[in-house]
Amino acid sequence: MTSDSLALGRRPMQFFGGWEVGLLALMALLYIVGALINPSFFLSPDAFQALLRDASRFAIMAVGMTFVIANKDLDLSVGSTYGLVGVVFAYVFDPNHYDMGVVPAIIACLALGTFIGLINGVLVTVLRVPAFIATLTMLFIGRGFILGLTGGQSILYPIKARDFHWFFQLGEFNAWGFNNQITLALIVVALGAFVLAKTRWGYETLATGGNELAAIYAGIPTRWVRVRSYLLSSLCATIAGLMAVAQDKGASPQGGLSAELIVIAAVIIGGASILGGRGRVLGSFLGAVLTVLINKVLREGVPITRTLMINGESIEVQAHYSLPAGAVPAFIGVLLLVAVLIEPLIIRQRLPARIWAWLRRRPPPKLLEVGGVAIEGAQTKGATASDRALTARGFGKFLARRDALAIMLAVLLWLVGLYLRPDYWALLPNTFAILLNYTELALIAVGLTFVIAAGDIDLSVGAVLALAGSAAAYSLKVLGLDPFEAILVGLAVGLAAGAFNGVMTVAFRLPAFIATLGMFYIARGLASWLVAGQQLTGFSERYNLIGRKVGDILAYLDLPRPMGFLGALADVVSVQTIWMLLVSVIAGFVLGFMPFGQRIYATGGNIRAAAYAGINTSRIRFIALLFCAFCATMAGLINVAYFRSFNPVAGQFRELDGIAAVIIGGGSIFGGYGTVIGALAGAAVITLVRALLQLNVEGFTMPQHWINVFIGGILIAAVLIDIWVRQANIFGALRAHLAERRRTATTEAVNA
Amino acid sequence: MPETSAVHPIVEMRHINKAFGAVQALNDVDLALYPGEVLGLVGDNSAGKSTLMKILTGAYQRDSGEIHVAGDEVHFSSPHESRDRGIEMIYQDFALCGNMDVGQNIFLGRWPRKGLIVDRRKMYSEADEVLQRLKVNVNSVYQKVESLSGGRQQSVAIARAISFDPRVIVLDEPTANLSVMATARLLETMLELKKHGVAQIIISHRLQDIFAVGDRVMVLKRGENVGDRYIKQTTEQEVLEIIVSGTPETRLSADEAPKRAA
Repeated sequence: MTSDSLALGRRPMQFFGGWEVGLLALMALLYIVGALINPSFFLSPDAFQALLRDASRFAIMAVGMTFVIANKDLDLSVGSTYGLVGVVFAYVFDPNHYDMGVVPAIIACLALGTFIGLINGVLVTVLRVPAFIATLTMLFIGRGFILGLTGGQSILYPIKARDFHWFFQLGEFNAWGFNNQITLALIVVALGAFVLAKTRWGYETLATGGNELAAIYAGIPTRWVRVRSYLLSSLCATIAGLMAVAQDKGASPQGGLSAELIVIAAVIIGGASILGGRGRVLGSFLGAVLTVLINKVLREGVPITRTLMINGESIEVQAHYSLPAGAVPAFIGVLLLVAVLIEPLIIRQRLPARIWAWLRRRPPPKLLEVGGVAIEGAQTKGATASDRALTARGFGKFLARRDALAIMLAVLLWLVGLYLRPDYWALLPNTFAILLNYTELALIAVGLTFVIAAGDIDLSVGAVLALAGSAAAYSLKVLGLDPFEAILVGLAVGLAAGAFNGVMTVAFRLPAFIATLGMFYIARGLASWLVAGQQLTGFSERYNLIGRKVGDILAYLDLPRPMGFLGALADVVSVQTIWMLLVSVIAGFVLGFMPFGQRIYATGGNIRAAAYAGINTSRIRFIALLFCAFCATMAGLINVAYFRSFNPVAGQFRELDGIAAVIIGGGSIFGGYGTVIGALAGAAVITLVRALLQLNVEGFTMPQHWINVFIGGILIAAVLIDIWVRQANIFGALRAHLAERRRTATTEAVNA
Repeated sequence: MPETSAVHPIVEMRHINKAFGAVQALNDVDLALYPGEVLGLVGDNSAGKSTLMKILTGAYQRDSGEIHVAGDEVHFSSPHESRDRGIEMIYQDFALCGNMDVGQNIFLGRWPRKGLIVDRRKMYSEADEVLQRLKVNVNSVYQKVESLSGGRQQSVAIARAISFDPRVIVLDEPTANLSVMATARLLETMLELKKHGVAQIIISHRLQDIFAVGDRVMVLKRGENVGDRYIKQTTEQEVLEIIVSGTPETRLSADEAPKRAA
């Protein structure tokens, strides 16, 4: 029956499509633009070589990431894995550390990659932690390890590397005149493309990402498929890290910083869908080259001619304008969001076709009807969680509260502090020093509570804190505004960031984690752009008052200091602590007692049910994201005032602390739960952990980097406890199971 | 049955058309529902039952056709507008917030207020009242909905619908997720509602449920109306035959069918 097979027609192409052709065209265009602006760099053969060489590492990471994203997962830890591989290699290989050969070093790196991939995979599949939170924590833990192991210093071993030419030539140019890394990248891309497009492994990946339930029914081991993709991703990052090792003959603590951003942007630009089920390795490869090219164009800068006035004569000086290094992630962050928007707007809603029809005054083309109401599956959970709060009595009633853990932990940790340093812990100054550290985190946690209860997430709080702080510092110092205006500017900038988050999630329907991840890089990039090359310090003391102690403010205003206990209190209580308590009381009242709070819980609990009940869920989510950015902004303004200067690392790791605080305090990463009291207690736990780890006990203090690793562990533990103890109630199930076994045992004994 | 026809229908849908892309989901469908009547809407998968009901509640927009509620022509652009005219829909998955308790769910989105604060005392006492009126048994109005069984969750969904004092309730596959016991309880509840004069439309695959409580059954097939019978004058066998082999040409209205048979 040859006619049958003819009737089938040509099979659709699996490797290559129109998208990839468009990418190639765009890339050619960009290179021409780059060559026009900066011919000295882009027209040199070295530049082309360097572009391909740097792109090859990102291309390899993009191969693994394609599998992960096609699975509807996300791996934010590739950048830190890439960096950590360099550090581990250095530790094993460097003469000043373990001084072993290349082979043990490579084995150690591969073991590390496998380990990270397995942890990611198991957390996401078996333990059901949302992918972005699991891998974001791995990112922070990895970065903490990199800084902790290197102590912030590069480790270089160029002399020993000469003895191992066979490995280190991987980073060199070969006899044919191009870098060996390019060859390796092409091999990995070809393999990846073949596996994803042609083999069962690839088909299983696409099926799992498209509809996991359907894949399970079809007998596909979806857990293993997803774990496999995480393994591929982190092994690809390991290979890329080894390539960097071969090229640099050393490791730097900055290695792989923000690499995850470039890799994810590359894969999405390459045509993969963040909603899963779609992705092509060749597209990701081209996306990686394109993203690295954009990165290069941004970093290289433009040669300009400056006119200087010297002694009344104007002299033309050749200069070079380039972006400060920290600003580039801002552009890549925008690029990521644009790429993520391509799919919903252009492919699903056919925006270009509609605009074209509108321009010709024709009726718009019909839309693909996507996901009509009531098609989605049931969301109201079944009889899994028993309602312990109703049956419990006395202390059990307290234990059944979702914030019980946080409150007990806070008390316990405080007592531990008292045990370790009885001489100093309970003194008023120390208590209020802790309270001062607590303020920033508590403000952020209160804002995050709203977002998390409404079922979203905000990963950008730390970055928005920095952006608002830098904007205020910039207006005070560079623009010369007065303190009140500077506060207004800071608030406006922070709220603009929040509004951007809100528009991206609500109007463009991006998942909140991806929208705020974009903002994470954009806000940090903008902040370091604003302050680049400026010493933003020495403001008017009037501004700094919002970060001072009450006593200082009274002194500044020439008011009399109260006597006795009130006076002592005024010397230790900061005005921002009072402000934070005020904000918390208002926020707690709104969330706990007003209909608006109920709307937030309804939206987070079951957004569709809330919408049917007439709640404007888009408005609720938008306001929550805006309020969260507002809280982060206030924290940023206070931070600048407290330190009397802006520090570019302000707010770093605060998103981690904030999310951990809310989850420990009874919030659920899936939305619908979380109280202000819980968040405050959770923030207290995190603050106390940090304070305890920083305590000088018998001359030993833990360095800051290791504390971040510790906090990352706490966040994962909190999410796991929320999913498995609070929601799935495994302890209850275990008790029931044991009771059942005991009963059968007794009946058997009776029968015997 | 001329005496029924003399009463004006509470809901009347005429010549409803709806296409999704190239697929004609509904083709010139008519539907009438009288006060206090229980109408079963049956048909194979993709017959257009749910689409028709979503058009009635305003979740989907019709391409053409008319809808009259109590004699007035209406254009619902969302389920909230149909709710204002006394039409409630209970979804297959109940559309409740599992993280909130029974009282909060019954008043979802319209929690009573005292000043700025949610009036919890009023909310719980009125929720309890509605549950009493419906004669359903939920342990406590303070219980979280996610800790309830499927049948109890449905009782909450129905209680929520009743609390709006609707004239029409649409139930989408109400027995699909229920145990046998819960199904029996649900059918009792439906009869209780009928006693209060509430018209109901049940979408269901289970003919025995429709025959237990229904007054009339309407059959859709591939988006077309292929038959309409009074429960008293038909059998499950006949309805099954219409579902499988009915055509618009052989279609008879409920009032014509007995005459043709006679």
